[in-house]
Amino acid sequence: MSLGARVGAAATAPLRALAAALDPAMRGWQRLAGRGGMIGLFLLPNLAIFTIFVLVPIGLNVAYSMTGGAQVFLADRPFVGGEQYARLLECENHLRPRTCRDDTFWTAVWNTARFVVLQVGLMTGAALVTALILNRSLPAKGFWRAVFFFPVLLSPVVVGLIWRWILQRQGLANLVMVEGGLEPVNWLVDRFWAFAAAVGVSVWAHLGFYALILLAGLQAIPKDLYEAAEMDGTRPWRVFRRITLPLLTPNLAVVVVLALIRAVQIFDEAYVLTGGGPGTATMFLTQYIYETGFASPVRNPGLAAAASILMAGVLVVLTLLRLSRQRRAAQR
Amino acid sequence: MGAITLEAISKSFGPVEVIRDVTLEIPEGELCVVVGPSGSGKSTLLRLIAGLDRPTRGRVLIDGADVTARPAADRGLAMVFQSYALYPHMTVRQNLAFGLENSRMARAEIARRIDEAARMLEIDGLLERRPGQLSGGQRQRVAIGRAIVREPVAFLLDEPLSNLDAELRGAMRAEIAALHRRLGRTMIHVTHDQIEAMTLADRIVVLRDGRVEQVDAPLDLFNRPANRFVAGFIGAPSMNFLTLPVPGPGGAVTLGVRPQHLRLVERGLTVRVEAAENLGAETLVHGTTVTGERLTALLPGQLRPRAGERLVLGHDPADEHRFDTDGRRVG
Ligand SMILES: Nc1ncnc2c1ncn2[C@@H]1O[C@H](COP(=O)(O)OP(=O)(O)O)[C@@H](O)[C@H]1O
Ligand SMILES: [Mg+2]
Repeated sequence: MSLGARVGAAATAPLRALAAALDPAMRGWQRLAGRGGMIGLFLLPNLAIFTIFVLVPIGLNVAYSMTGGAQVFLADRPFVGGEQYARLLECENHLRPRTCRDDTFWTAVWNTARFVVLQVGLMTGAALVTALILNRSLPAKGFWRAVFFFPVLLSPVVVGLIWRWILQRQGLANLVMVEGGLEPVNWLVDRFWAFAAAVGVSVWAHLGFYALILLAGLQAIPKDLYEAAEMDGTRPWRVFRRITLPLLTPNLAVVVVLALIRAVQIFDEAYVLTGGGPGTATMFLTQYIYETGFASPVRNPGLAAAASILMAGVLVVLTLLRLSRQRRAAQR
Repeated sequence: MGAITLEAISKSFGPVEVIRDVTLEIPEGELCVVVGPSGSGKSTLLRLIAGLDRPTRGRVLIDGADVTARPAADRGLAMVFQSYALYPHMTVRQNLAFGLENSRMARAEIARRIDEAARMLEIDGLLERRPGQLSGGQRQRVAIGRAIVREPVAFLLDEPLSNLDAELRGAMRAEIAALHRRLGRTMIHVTHDQIEAMTLADRIVVLRDGRVEQVDAPLDLFNRPANRFVAGFIGAPSMNFLTLPVPGPGGAVTLGVRPQHLRLVERGLTVRVEAAENLGAETLVHGTTVTGERLTALLPGQLRPRAGERLVLGHDPADEHRFDTDGRRVG
């Protein structure tokens, strides 16, 4: 027996002992419940986890969203029907949060919308450029791929902290700028720069992942298509427009939809970086839900639940979009 | 137009020399078939001519002009790739037009050339389809069509028939020959299939490990192979090689006889039969000689020799080939 096989055998010995011990019970159960019963038995653990951590919370969330007050236990909370939704949705002009009953919610909605458009647009563009560069035969290719992928491995909180240290008033960025004879910028205190930082840091953190998806797509395009184009004297821009881009479309679609879903949920790295400030300049939906439900002086779990259900609706639409794309790709 | 000359071409990938000192002259209008086993450097040779790769040493000339440093697009050549390399997201018409649009050719001229090529290749009914909706043979035609519309001085075809089934391959072989007669342009056709080479070529180049072993007309190659490799590679079933008991004139140590040149005779070489395959009109007999050398004989008629049976075989001295210790032909 090879060393690998022996190590494998030793490592799986406890598992095999467990399987042997369970065997009589399993056989007994199968005799009792039949094959269908066995399937049920194997699905049970996962189903239980899914029920406890997903289905029940969704149900509770819906229930909370129709109650009022600050009490924590559902039984103590008065039923208010659609009042929480009305509070969130009533506006004179939805484009101007100030005219809304809950102006913070609409500020968060529009901040998130702006963030999603900017972040997904920049991300897709940057990931495409990165993938195109990494797909060329450049020296130390593996190193560069690792450099771009590394941030993906970092926890979002770490990402937020690193960039706060860089961007804060006496941070690394200002230090370098002052050394270089420039005026320091209050990155995280200025409304414009704080928002830009939230977008930029989030792009930096996730770029590698999407670039990797696109890189895989680029490498799946047969080389001889490019050689055929070369024989015909096709200019680089036309090759990109007429060959690379169309053949990369499925991957680009995956990237856009995945990035959309994640951008709508933006929270951790932005929260650690700016805390939603200055003021509410970088307050996003998830942060609004978190603070309304758990962190503000006057907690309102019902309102937070209602907001989270509205947000879930948006995510469901995006996910369906992704699934339908996947199905179409599978059919091809 | 379309005379191609290779002058002492070599090509290395890193430390590996894939093409070694190849010199070749292909006159205008010739259908030249490059044949060799897989990995012998056929594709590389074609890519060097096309300009997709640059030789490490040596020069490529087209109609006397040195094109070694010229980009692929400026050599006036068209290539048919082994994989066809059709653009999967474009219709057949767009595939045919793509290369022409690069040169800002007038729309009417592009349309005229596409119509003409489509009619010639009988793909005029497929112009609005995508490659994914075509059969292997139809894709092959589109790939050839894409080369034709460019009206190149020479065609380069890299194993164009290898992805087709046997029946279709035979038909396409005839079509390529007809196309060559009709267009009258130089064609360099690469294949690992010696039958394809024999049936198609004006002249065959036999390549082995990046070296040219022999260049000759098909029948000359068959009748007077320059060395043991060519003798064994050209012709099916392969030539038998027997060690001569004593070296012959000119240092000959090996005797070569084609299986179809062996006959049953009264006195000659005794062969122990190991197996026999009946092909209908002929019988292919596999056996060993008394000295233990393997031998095959293609005998006329339907014989049923049993395994272990002894046959006595002979041949006409005019049909034998002799090779020296280096495998070179003697005489
Ligand atoms: N780009 C390359 N880099 C390294 N080796 C290569 C490259 N292209 C071809 N080769 C090598 O050159 C040899 C000849 O290849 P090729 O011309 O494709 O042979 P053929 O077409 O006759 O089968 C092979 O051993 C192959 O591995
Ligand atoms: Mg090849």
